[in-house]
Amino acid sequence: MSLNRDVLWYKDAIVYQVHVRTFHDSNGDGIGDFQGLEEKLDYLQQLGINAIWLMPFFPSPLRDDGYDIADYNAVHSSYGTLEDFRKFLGSAHDRGIRVIIEMVLNHTSDQHPWFQESRSSPDNPRRDWYVWSDTDRRYKGVRIIFLDTETSNWAWDPISKSFYWHRFFSHQPDLNYDNPAVREQMWNVMKFWLEMGVDGFRLDAVPYLVEREGTNCENLPETHAVLKELRRKLDEQFPGRMLLAEANQWPADLRPYFGDGDEFHMAFHFPLMPRMFMGLKLEDRKPITEILQQTPEIPALCQWSLFLRNHDELTLEMVTDLERDYMYDSYAESKTMRLNLGIRRRLAPLLDNDRRRIELMNGMLMSLPGTPIIYYGDEIGMGDNINLGDRNGVRTPMQWDGGTNGGFSSAPLERLYSPLIQDPVYGYPAVNVLRQKASEHSLLNWMQRIVTVRKSTGVFGRGSIEFLYPANHRILAYVRRLGNEVVLVVNNLSSTAQAVELDLRRYKGNIPIEMFGGNMFPRVGDLPYLLTLGPYQFYWFRLRRV
Amino acid sequence: MKLAEESYLTDDFLRQLVNVGEVDILVGLPTHNNAQTIGSIVQTIQSGILRGFPRERAVIINADGGSRDGTRELVTGVSIDDVRPASNLHALRTLHSISTEYPNSPSSGAALRTILAAAELLRAKACAVLSPNSANIEREWISKLLSPIYRDGFDLVTPTYRRHKFEGLLITNLVYPMTRALYGLRIREAYSPEFGFSGRLGSQFLGQHAWNDGTEGAGVELRFTLAAITGRNLICQSFLGEKMHVERHAADLVPALRETVGALFSALEPDFPVWSAVTHSQSLPTTGADHEVILEPLRVNRKRLREMFSSGVAELESVFQSILSLSTLAELKRIAALGEEEFHYPPELWVRTVYEFAASYRKSVISRDHIIQALAPLFRGRAFTFLVENRNASEDEVENNIEGLCLEFERLKPYLLQLWESRE
Repeated sequence: MSLNRDVLWYKDAIVYQVHVRTFHDSNGDGIGDFQGLEEKLDYLQQLGINAIWLMPFFPSPLRDDGYDIADYNAVHSSYGTLEDFRKFLGSAHDRGIRVIIEMVLNHTSDQHPWFQESRSSPDNPRRDWYVWSDTDRRYKGVRIIFLDTETSNWAWDPISKSFYWHRFFSHQPDLNYDNPAVREQMWNVMKFWLEMGVDGFRLDAVPYLVEREGTNCENLPETHAVLKELRRKLDEQFPGRMLLAEANQWPADLRPYFGDGDEFHMAFHFPLMPRMFMGLKLEDRKPITEILQQTPEIPALCQWSLFLRNHDELTLEMVTDLERDYMYDSYAESKTMRLNLGIRRRLAPLLDNDRRRIELMNGMLMSLPGTPIIYYGDEIGMGDNINLGDRNGVRTPMQWDGGTNGGFSSAPLERLYSPLIQDPVYGYPAVNVLRQKASEHSLLNWMQRIVTVRKSTGVFGRGSIEFLYPANHRILAYVRRLGNEVVLVVNNLSSTAQAVELDLRRYKGNIPIEMFGGNMFPRVGDLPYLLTLGPYQFYWFRLRRV
Repeated sequence: MKLAEESYLTDDFLRQLVNVGEVDILVGLPTHNNAQTIGSIVQTIQSGILRGFPRERAVIINADGGSRDGTRELVTGVSIDDVRPASNLHALRTLHSISTEYPNSPSSGAALRTILAAAELLRAKACAVLSPNSANIEREWISKLLSPIYRDGFDLVTPTYRRHKFEGLLITNLVYPMTRALYGLRIREAYSPEFGFSGRLGSQFLGQHAWNDGTEGAGVELRFTLAAITGRNLICQSFLGEKMHVERHAADLVPALRETVGALFSALEPDFPVWSAVTHSQSLPTTGADHEVILEPLRVNRKRLREMFSSGVAELESVFQSILSLSTLAELKRIAALGEEEFHYPPELWVRTVYEFAASYRKSVISRDHIIQALAPLFRGRAFTFLVENRNASEDEVENNIEGLCLEFERLKPYLLQLWESRE
């Protein structure tokens, strides 16, 4: 198997997000590595995913799980070598799996040599690579993102006796994108990996690249200019590669990141995700349809990226205060489950390990417009450990089997980078890949099935969407269409059985064929199409004129 | 739910209810040609629900008596849902406004029956009914009527209002004092088009009330309150503020008497085991003021009231002979002959009059409707005295006078029991 040559591959992708550290340890040092990840590519291929998004694997003091990079052109020694990465990349491509890597443009670690040089003297040639100031009063009013740990976006540097700007942790100084040398250097970093063969970048924290007085220092035109310049170079030198934006913004503010199809190929739809959870809890489609109504059209070559959970907290920045309170009360009753403006829990515990709800949420993830991302371990319903600090509770080792260290590593327990989940419900003896592979009706096998069904048509990745708005508000129904191919999706967000009448007159004469079982349903006629759905049940119907 | 209730609702309405599903909060809105005001009322209700119950599943149910002015379309047009997002109100979830036309001619009974049936089908936890004839519904009313039910476990919330001292004379001179004396609870507004109730009480009333008793639902709100009392439900009061009417016209007294006194008298017979055992009255938990009085001057044609009393006593003497005791009738004839300055219809005589009417109503000494009609001129006489007594009275003095009348109703309750139990 090899990679298809379609430059729009990202539209059909099903992405698997994983941190190399967490997946599989091949050398018994207690930390996952590229060789271990490569060994598990067959598993991922069987699951059906066709792209991997790797979290940062660069040399780093690891004070922010690798998002504090100290060297952009190497692999952290714990994870292997550059050669190991190359080998993994080749093996992934051999299996038809593309590799997207993380690129943290906005800031470096304060341990990065660039920053060490920059802070050493005001006269250092790299002084202007970061944002320095004699006062901490510049850019007043700019919001602080990590509210739980930071009190200012400025940090005092005792070495150079001045303040430096940081939008995230104080050990992550922001690069100065007004400096052409910085822009050139960061392109060189990207080129380094592109030449090695990576298929795309997930660009971290892109709204914050440039600062201007009197603004909120987010989404500035100057930031977009930087990004467009990177895209232009990418298209010229590496056609078919992809840029994915991490910009936790409202849909209208996100739209400019697509430009006229000349900025990002993809962007995460951050506001949708919490509203999917909200809709499920409220048993009401309103939050979901409302945010999608507010989502602007994007250029034809662009794509939304959808996710249920990821390595960060379930972010509640893009919700109203009323909605945030509701989400906290519904999904994070205990304060220890909350972090910053979000909830640091995995998918299965968020949904009370209710298989029906897990399936429904994945069903929506796979059928709403966009490219779905599966967070590692969620395909088997892994749990979390809220007693671990920061977001480490959702970054525990992958659970491969019920044996030593869950099959993750042969290292002594105390040398594992993180304790495994061990509680009776979610612990590795109960929840692991081996066990689920052996069970026909396991979540893993179900996930494999839904991925297969999703991939059986291009309509989910590339098709249009039309909401049906049946009078029953607990039913979220939409039609996906691509050319002559039409798929009807009906989701019951309720914990109880529901009846719904759908206005399908446009599709009169079509026969709905249920896509998982292949069974025919009664032909669509003039009357409202009556369906009954069990609790949290969903249907995907291919509408066919026979 | 009884089959009768299911068939009472139209298929279309049932379909709408299926789509709404189970709710926590239900607000019922009986209408009949209220297009002029209904849009803003529905918006106020929506606003009240979103403010007071932002997380709860809620629905507005419009039970319409056959409007021909587009009332129903206006109700459903103000829906907060995902198809037509409201610009000024943000809701977490879909808030449905649905409407149905009930089968009978317009009546509060038929409307309430529809609302109760919907509440039962939707398993509503807390419900409220609001009147489109109230011109100043405020969004706070929603919380005031529903919170005691939803959050504090009460079954019935009756309102209290800020009223002019001469407004609601039938309430202050008969319904309140007599209900209080007989049933033992000091409910200021036992007959009000606005009230809150639990789904449990709604279902209980829906199942037990004789909907087809020929009264066409007259006074159903009072019957509902009395049913709540006799069912030993938890009742409280909530102060809503000033009560203003969309259109104020002098209500025809006889229909008003049928709805209030008729409903009260007809309840006395089945409720006898309850009220006969009540020996004293007690106050209710009340949020806000128990009552408030507006004192500003008001022109009332008192002279006409007294004239109608006197002519009524003369013209209906033969009717009164069937209803009243000889002594009461004689006393009425005596005061009927008094000039305007001397005229006084004292509390004791008024209470005896009312109790004798109630006993005669029970015994159906003549047609019950004629008995109710015959009370009209006598009530006018009592109203004249109330107006005179309180012409220059302060808020406290007005309240003292009402309280005095209440105590008289309570003091003479044994007289009613005696009449009730006598064979004649």
